[in-house]
Amino acid sequence: MTSPSQPTSERQVSMVFDLNKCMGCQTCSVACKMLWTGAPGEENQWWCSVNTQPGLGTPKGWESMGGGYDVEGRPVLGKVPTAEDFGGGWQFNHKEVFFGGKGSSVHLAPSERGTGAGKEPTWGPNWDEDQGGGEYPNSYFFYLPRLCNHCTRPVCVEVCPSGAMYKREQDGIVLRDENLCRGSRACMAACPYKKIYFNHVRNVAQHCNMCFPRLENGVAPVCARQCPGRLVFVGMLDDKDGPIHKLVHEWKVALPLHPEYGTEPNIFYIPPLSPHRLNGDLSIDYQTPRIPPAYLESLFGPKVHAALDKMRGELAAVRAGGKSELLDTLIVYKWQQLFGPFTTPPGRVGAVGKEVQP
Amino acid sequence: MSEDAQRDRCNNAWDSVAFGTHCVDCYPNNCPLFVFVKDGKVVYEEAAGVLGTVEAGVPDMNPMGCQKGASWSRQLYGDDRLLYPMRRTGERGEGRWERISWDEALAETADAMLDAIVEVGPAAIVHEVSPEIAVMPAAARFMNILGGTSLDVNASINDFWAGFHQVYGKSAFARSVDDVFHSDCILIWHSNPAYTQIPAFHYMVEARYRGAELVLISPDVNPSHSHVDFHVPVRNGSDSALALAMCQVIVSEGLTDLGFVRSQTDLSLLVRTDTGEFLRSSHVEAGGRDDRFHQADPARGVVPADAGSLLLDFDACLEGSFDVELHGGGRCTVEPLFARLRRQLDTHYTPEIAAPICGAHPDTIRTIARKVARGRTSILVGAGMTKYYHGDLIQRTMLLLLGLTGNWGKKGAGASGWCSAMFDGTTLAIAKVKAGGEAAVELRDSMRMVTESMREQDPTLTEELAASSLWRMMGPGTGMSPPAFFWYWHMGYRDRWNRDAWNDPAMPRKFDEYWNEAVESGWWGDAARPLPQSPPRVLLEIAGNMLRRSRGGKAVVLENLWPQLKKIVAMDYRMSQTALYADIVLPATQHYEKTTFNMPTPWTMFLTMSDAVAEPPGEARSEWEVLAALFRKLAERASERGLEGYADRLGMQRRYDQLWDNYTLSGALIDDETVAADMVASSVALGNLPAGTTLETFRTQGMCRYTNWGISAFGTGQASPFPDGETHVPLRNHVELGHPYPTLTRRAQFLLDHPWYREGGEDLPVHKEPPAMGGVHPFALSSGHSRWSIHSMNMTNPVIMETHRGKPFVLINDADARAKGIDDDALVRIHNDAGEFLVAARTSPTQRPGSLTVYNGFEGFAFPGGKGANEVEPGLVKWLHLVAGYGQLTYTPVEWQPTPSDRCVYVECEPYQGVQPAPLTPAGGDTQAARSALADS
Repeated sequence: MTSPSQPTSERQVSMVFDLNKCMGCQTCSVACKMLWTGAPGEENQWWCSVNTQPGLGTPKGWESMGGGYDVEGRPVLGKVPTAEDFGGGWQFNHKEVFFGGKGSSVHLAPSERGTGAGKEPTWGPNWDEDQGGGEYPNSYFFYLPRLCNHCTRPVCVEVCPSGAMYKREQDGIVLRDENLCRGSRACMAACPYKKIYFNHVRNVAQHCNMCFPRLENGVAPVCARQCPGRLVFVGMLDDKDGPIHKLVHEWKVALPLHPEYGTEPNIFYIPPLSPHRLNGDLSIDYQTPRIPPAYLESLFGPKVHAALDKMRGELAAVRAGGKSELLDTLIVYKWQQLFGPFTTPPGRVGAVGKEVQP
Repeated sequence: MSEDAQRDRCNNAWDSVAFGTHCVDCYPNNCPLFVFVKDGKVVYEEAAGVLGTVEAGVPDMNPMGCQKGASWSRQLYGDDRLLYPMRRTGERGEGRWERISWDEALAETADAMLDAIVEVGPAAIVHEVSPEIAVMPAAARFMNILGGTSLDVNASINDFWAGFHQVYGKSAFARSVDDVFHSDCILIWHSNPAYTQIPAFHYMVEARYRGAELVLISPDVNPSHSHVDFHVPVRNGSDSALALAMCQVIVSEGLTDLGFVRSQTDLSLLVRTDTGEFLRSSHVEAGGRDDRFHQADPARGVVPADAGSLLLDFDACLEGSFDVELHGGGRCTVEPLFARLRRQLDTHYTPEIAAPICGAHPDTIRTIARKVARGRTSILVGAGMTKYYHGDLIQRTMLLLLGLTGNWGKKGAGASGWCSAMFDGTTLAIAKVKAGGEAAVELRDSMRMVTESMREQDPTLTEELAASSLWRMMGPGTGMSPPAFFWYWHMGYRDRWNRDAWNDPAMPRKFDEYWNEAVESGWWGDAARPLPQSPPRVLLEIAGNMLRRSRGGKAVVLENLWPQLKKIVAMDYRMSQTALYADIVLPATQHYEKTTFNMPTPWTMFLTMSDAVAEPPGEARSEWEVLAALFRKLAERASERGLEGYADRLGMQRRYDQLWDNYTLSGALIDDETVAADMVASSVALGNLPAGTTLETFRTQGMCRYTNWGISAFGTGQASPFPDGETHVPLRNHVELGHPYPTLTRRAQFLLDHPWYREGGEDLPVHKEPPAMGGVHPFALSSGHSRWSIHSMNMTNPVIMETHRGKPFVLINDADARAKGIDDDALVRIHNDAGEFLVAARTSPTQRPGSLTVYNGFEGFAFPGGKGANEVEPGLVKWLHLVAGYGQLTYTPVEWQPTPSDRCVYVECEPYQGVQPAPLTPAGGDTQAARSALADS
């Protein structure tokens, strides 16, 4: 199905997120925000975002905005998400509240920037946090961190009218040369995951660069390296001895998000288990999963059922006193095992001044 | 940007990097970070990830950190950062200020302090201790040397594990966070570690992958739910009924760990069937002691229970009854406490009886109980539990469940409270009278002389028991006092506490009767202060935030306390709710701008330091330096007024011209660097830290592992060998060596046979419904530690605010919201008999119907109308916590004293359609307006 114009790469850097370890703490998203999106025009950019599923996420309702490839393999231009759809980039009235002499007639509150300046926000990067779905007491949710999928078939690259986007040969990272980008936003329309933002100040689109300058120095991406839940594996997808290859191809427990979009993501997720649901009389229902399997299938495709069966089987095995190489891999006894070849600490490289010696 | 531009942005964003951490009251805390600095400003920070493996086969603790830590530096340069000393020019709380010099600010503060001392005495200068550990040594030392009133903050925020203290005689012990990896069954009970224990959360999932089963017991389907195997939805405050029903299952199904129960608990002690008390030696022999008890040996009958060791060479009876001849004539029947407990469980707490009370199905109760009994079980209980009116009962029933199943003092088992210990340097910095490591050794040796003479007089005392007794004796002398007395006598809580309708209906007499009896009988001794005749005049808030945290909120604080205060001085790095209502605001430095240490705790077993690597903005200065300067200014102004000194509360004379010398040890502790170096020297001398450790050690390796428990009672209270190459498990000395517990009965004590407890029906652990705090209303309002802040820290961090809605919210069940006509994000009015506030709704099916949650930490100024959720919290204290002078129920700083409850407050919640509420009337203060109003009248 690959069209001649489609880019390929020799190797592919990849990530696996174990959603059963994710607590939605936003350390990955905040770490990325701190490192990458603090300049003017980047206020509302969260290249890595974490949302509660089920939910509308960011940009609001992104799953129904379109993009990706159609069944014939042709790029689809969907909606270009607006700043309002993403939300965020707020300003706050600290000065008015603390130094304005208005007492408690004013209170600290966020307001929009840019076109809607001054308006009270009605959406944000994590607006529907912890709302979830279902009915009490069988309500449910889980967290889904999302960043650029650095797809094997990057539709954004294919549709870029100015040739600004490319997929790197050596590691498959999808990048954009801002010197060539003319702000057409075709990439934003085509990306079915809606993880590309627009910078109105520089008139360019921007997205996650997989922290390639860190990777080049042997340092793991900042989202993965700061994750306190220890759930983000980083490595080369073709490294047969590495955990990513095993989780994706051997045990088949790590799956791409929305495989039907056709872009072949290189970010994979171990789908969420969930607590037993409760019957009407509040006794335990051991048969029916709390998160509806159809919902998980809508996110991760039909392979999700086998992946969850595999996880449940391994859990049952260790509870019966057995061993599981899969679960031992997911335990990650040593933190550095998460990062494949990227285990250099960030303070050691690129320093102009003094180095730290841990 | 091109690739090169992005490389430049990533690799050259900083010109130096140093280790850092955030020295706040957060757990597990001590996250080592790299701090990246450019041109004197912090650009960002990142988890250092420098922690090695502790125990082979257990995951390491890396990376440690969270979203707050990853964006901490944004708080340094935000719009709420205080840059210059300021004086209020409008009404209190109005937000009108003028910039003044440090000299003016200190002079005005010193003058107010002198006025207060002259009018009332030093007790009129009040400080509520801040849980910010970076500030605590400076503020505590200042207040000690001044002789002012320091309120015990752990009581104010009620992180008191009253039930743990009642059972174990201590609550300040904790296991290392990695130990949960060893658990077979983990009960996440009234806790939400996905919010509250972000750096350690992975151990729970990793334990699950090792084979553990996880159970969440909570009213709401809280955000930790997606990681567990079972969720047990319980009614708010009914956890004790659930725990007791599980105990009933364990006892009736023969799952009890009998050996553990016999040796470790008081359930093998004999109780009288006539009075319900323990059988004491004073009951059976002339001159017998009141604190000696009995067991029954199947061969020998009734025998004295060993006070010095828990090791038994016989199987003490847990059933049966025995006839005893009483001293002075008469007889009585006694039985093992276990038998009485079993009857109580069988009569009142079968799963079928408990199910409708707690809301769990009887089969679920049995299923979970069997899991608890089958292997190593941990209960992860949060400090929300401590904030229920009957939180002590809930804790006692949880510990009973663990006790019956032999689940503490072992790897992977037990429950932890709060603990700070091991880094003696930080504690001694408050009290030292000489600088240097030798001075620390001298202090330790003099403490040892006391404890050794105690042990000579009573050979049953272990080192821990002697240290515990000494700590309780020293309690009133620590400088802190229980805030309950301040609240009752000076802050208007008396009326609230005496409202019968808000209290437990089983409280037999008026609250005031108990209060008066407790005070008049001298149970609290010198800790009951400041007395009514000693009103407050100056409030020194040093990184504290009384207006945000006080239960009762502005309605209580502004109406009762503020008018009495002649000067309110707030020293902080940012404008807090309290600073906004202060008279003088002093800008303080923050982490990365001064050299300070983190909260020392066994949760991690290592210590981290935050270094001075960034330039403080504006004129911000460190608290230590400011307080030293304040003492100098105090002496200067006193001299100008011809004042030489004053008498402290014990009648001792203190001289103004000696305060600075005493504070700085004649200039030895002059700034943060010298203070931090002295802390390390103390701890090295005492063996807390390895020989040769200096500040440089922290600067080059980012952290340092402890090497012993230290000399404080919180260290010896771990009651465990210092771990080497393994996880830390407290209470092992009791379980493995038979060392007694620091309780009246020397055992984990489930019967409190104090007359008030018998009268209130709580001598044995029972379930009681939460009282109607706030009146009879349809919704139960509770709270919890938020994901987005550490107390109010980070609640104004603009990066963090975008990870939620950027404003406070109340969680309401979606069906409840529909029934009430409340839309998501719409403003609602929450009110009860105590007060009201406005807040935006967040609807979710995860919220239990009939309940509301407002997470803790939002500042009042973030709510429309300026009033936060604490406005509707009556702040009741439980009358039974006024008991003192009964074994472990003796005033103990940070462990035993009356504390306010704020969970399960009853409220109404309605859509709010009105206009923005009228501004609050700022209260009191010597303002221009107040002065002219007085002149007019």
